Amino acid sequence: MHWPWERAKESLSEELEAHLQMAIAERVADGEDPAQARAAAQRELGNVPLIEDVTRERWGWMWLENLLSDARYALRQLRRAPAFTATALLTLAFGIGANLGVFQLLYAVILAELPVPHPEEVVRIHAARTPFDQSWTISYPAYQRLRAATPDVPLMATAYVVEDARLELPNRASINASCTPVSDNYFSVLGVTPAAGRLFIQADARQVQGEWPAVLRYDFARNTFGSAGQAVGQHMLLNGRSFVVIGVAHRRFLGDITGHAPDIWLPLELQSTGAFSFSWDSLGPGHDVSLDKPWYNQPTIFWLALTARIPPERRAVVLAHWDQVFRNDREVMTEATADPAVKAALLNLKTGVAPLSENGMRKRFTVPLTILMALSASIFLVGCLNLANLQLARLHAREHELSVRMALGASRGRLIRQIVLEDALLLAGGSLCALALGRAASGILVRWVSNRNALFTLDLHPNLPLAALGAGLMLLSLLCFSILPAVIAIRTGVGQTAGSRAKVAGISQAARQRYRSNVLLGTQVSLSLLLSTMSACFAATLVHWETVDVGMDREHVLIVRPELHQPKYTDHSELLPELYSRIQERLQALPGVRSAAVEMCGGIHCGWITALYVHGRNNLTDAQVHGQEDLVGLGFFSTVGIPILRGRDFSSSDTDKTQRVAIISRSYARQLLGDADPIGQLVGYEPAPNDHKFLIVGEVADARVNGAQREAPPVIYMSINQNPAPVNSIRVRAVGDPRQLSASVRQALYEVDPALPVSEIVPLATELDGDLGTEKLLARLAGVYASLTLLLVAIGFYGVMSSRTARRKSEFGIRLALGATRGHIQMLIVGQTARILLAGILPGAILSILAVRAASHFLYGSVSANSLAIIAASLVLAIAGSIATIIPARRAAFADPLETLRSE
Amino acid sequence: MTEATKYQNRIELLQGTLDMLVLQALLREPMHGYAIAQVIRSRSGEVFTVETGSLYPALHRLERQKWVKSEWKLTESKQRAKFYQLTALGKKQLTADHQRWLQLVRAIGAVMEPEVQP
Repeated sequence: MHWPWERAKESLSEELEAHLQMAIAERVADGEDPAQARAAAQRELGNVPLIEDVTRERWGWMWLENLLSDARYALRQLRRAPAFTATALLTLAFGIGANLGVFQLLYAVILAELPVPHPEEVVRIHAARTPFDQSWTISYPAYQRLRAATPDVPLMATAYVVEDARLELPNRASINASCTPVSDNYFSVLGVTPAAGRLFIQADARQVQGEWPAVLRYDFARNTFGSAGQAVGQHMLLNGRSFVVIGVAHRRFLGDITGHAPDIWLPLELQSTGAFSFSWDSLGPGHDVSLDKPWYNQPTIFWLALTARIPPERRAVVLAHWDQVFRNDREVMTEATADPAVKAALLNLKTGVAPLSENGMRKRFTVPLTILMALSASIFLVGCLNLANLQLARLHAREHELSVRMALGASRGRLIRQIVLEDALLLAGGSLCALALGRAASGILVRWVSNRNALFTLDLHPNLPLAALGAGLMLLSLLCFSILPAVIAIRTGVGQTAGSRAKVAGISQAARQRYRSNVLLGTQVSLSLLLSTMSACFAATLVHWETVDVGMDREHVLIVRPELHQPKYTDHSELLPELYSRIQERLQALPGVRSAAVEMCGGIHCGWITALYVHGRNNLTDAQVHGQEDLVGLGFFSTVGIPILRGRDFSSSDTDKTQRVAIISRSYARQLLGDADPIGQLVGYEPAPNDHKFLIVGEVADARVNGAQREAPPVIYMSINQNPAPVNSIRVRAVGDPRQLSASVRQALYEVDPALPVSEIVPLATELDGDLGTEKLLARLAGVYASLTLLLVAIGFYGVMSSRTARRKSEFGIRLALGATRGHIQMLIVGQTARILLAGILPGAILSILAVRAASHFLYGSVSANSLAIIAASLVLAIAGSIATIIPARRAAFADPLETLRSE
Repeated sequence: MTEATKYQNRIELLQGTLDMLVLQALLREPMHGYAIAQVIRSRSGEVFTVETGSLYPALHRLERQKWVKSEWKLTESKQRAKFYQLTALGKKQLTADHQRWLQLVRAIGAVMEPEVQP
């Protein structure tokens, strides 16, 4: 490559040469001897390279030239040490990348605000809690009243997300999409701009030409239709109803609930189609509720969550006004509450606000993500320490070269600059890898933290804080592993041994250097122990939740989800028990199937909240009567493995013509009746006189039907045959691995009813494990970190011990010549490692104990189990450190003493 | 390192004056570096010996400041050499330098020989 200054340099040389020639020529013309003339002219001219240097400085680009030549030199140096270069690149990539990835997740979940103008004005409105679900939702008429009461304060309503609407497009397989029904002012009040088309306006609250309007999320539109622009105007079927895409929201807008981005926004009013099953609450049986009819004129169906944009200074006035308007609705909502004290308290509640950030996501992930951030910071620190140590060792080895160069006139600044430049190149390379890694990592982390039961969609666009963090980490690492070691090495080592190979002078120097690298290694060991312990504890926690006794046979049960919510079945629910019994018979005839049963619940997180009153006990409090309800078929308990403690199971003699029966779980029975025998008690959904509809015929053990991590809830089981309804799941208990039965179960169901679609077949264990997002994330990431630091520590020991043994080569040679055994030499080196390990493990253990305490909320296991983790991690560390040391130790011990002494 | 510093010091000492002398030498015709040195030496009555180590840095600096421009030409003795030529900007600079120089000389003269003053 020809730089512009190469030509200028040549020209300058030529100019000076011409000067010389002319001077010689003149002297010769004056009669001098040519040889003498040349010598005199050269003397007169002076030191040509120096003149060239000084002249070139006048050009003003020397620094650039120097920089480039330094860069070339640096690249050459890096190529000459491929092992160091690779270690440094990987360390930086992982150290910085991991931090960026985790921070991006942390930012998206905890710190990011809604991407709309003045997000601080947007708040949730908490008017009243619903009687059963305890959610902050109200009825449509109440919403309209509140909205009309304050025309100048925009009030939005949203219904809960409909998770799996079936989206059908012409000529394509149907997919599942999540939909959020919103009020017509949703986008305009938030201030969201469209990426294409338009967003909802008031006129969208109804069908136009038989089609409902829909707005898509940007990424969903792109993935489905190719681009936002192409999506607009597309026609589609959602749960069998016609929709037209009127627009696509801004690409950064992912809905108002962190993590749960709907694919499609729909107008609230399409509830009247009945095609979507919305989440709702009501006053319970006996109150005037018709779920099949449109909800917009029913004041006792609570399904709308409120969000408003109110400037902080107006909040008090607006809320007080809403309180007045809402008074009647509040009274309606307390009708289901029997307890007079509770009722009075509910009536006295005032409408309040809560920031949007106060959601489950933030509550759930703040601590785990903070732990992860701390772990990531430690791995970055370990990486920096490791590199600093390797760098010091490397500079130590180059001491002679550097001191010779200084003696030849290289300036300290230039040497430091060369070394720092070398590292800056490394850092640039490492940071590029880190950026790519960070991007990939945050995506992977979101996938790890999401699970079958809750998929998260987060805004992972690069942002300013992320860039600042990246730049900060880069500078910090440059300072740690490059500038400081270079300054230390040049100041102390090279400066004083400059030009000489005096070894005596270097002894105290070498001792200090050794001490320094020992401290660095020890710190690495401590941090690594911390990470390994945490990783072991998180892994143990994950294993615990994956294997904990849930009161059901988690390993052998298959959950089959049929699609019974079709008019064919719902319109003739009296025929369903017969269908269920045919399904059960057919499935139980399959080889490998122990038993099968139907259940109203589709899986975990399902049973609905109910209230149960006992005949003859009028003093039950609200806390006592609330529990969960489920409708199950014959043989349900033996199929899922819940033991019957007292009484009997449902039987085929329980029909709609006989006494209604129920089976109660142990904890519900104790909650309602204390230690009294529940068998034979009469219960009902309402207080007396309607409290004797069901006869309890059995008591079953508790089971964690809401997931492994939640306590077993109090449950009342009713017979599906006495209350015919479409079920959401069929449970099949296998003799062996339930996964193997999927195909034959699907086939058998097809034979029973070819028109019955099966949407999913999934083992119970998978369903239960699907809840463990946080635990999986922590366990996996901590595992990755722990193995990384282990590797780094091993590399650190190897690098430092190698350079140390190389420096003591002649000493070992003399020792061997004087009769030391090879074992003795090896022990010398391994002994050093052992001391460093010990010095690192002790503070590391203390650190680990503190960390385990701090994270105890996420750890399952006793103190002794966690100490076991510390001991195990120490052992692993010690082994890794020793193995990394034995290689250079053997190399030193098995070198030929004669050879080493001769080379001196 | 140390040697380089010495050179730089000398250039700085001479800087203003040397620049002026060089520009003055180039006033009538373009010249190469050797000729400039010779002209200054002979005109000063052999008092000033312009060091090469000062001359060339000065020339290159003047060129960077656009006070002179250069081109490669052949001398009368067929030697290829780099000829420097005064630019319009350089002429202006020379006038200014000259003015300042005269002021300086008058002022120093007045201090050193007060009796000459009227």
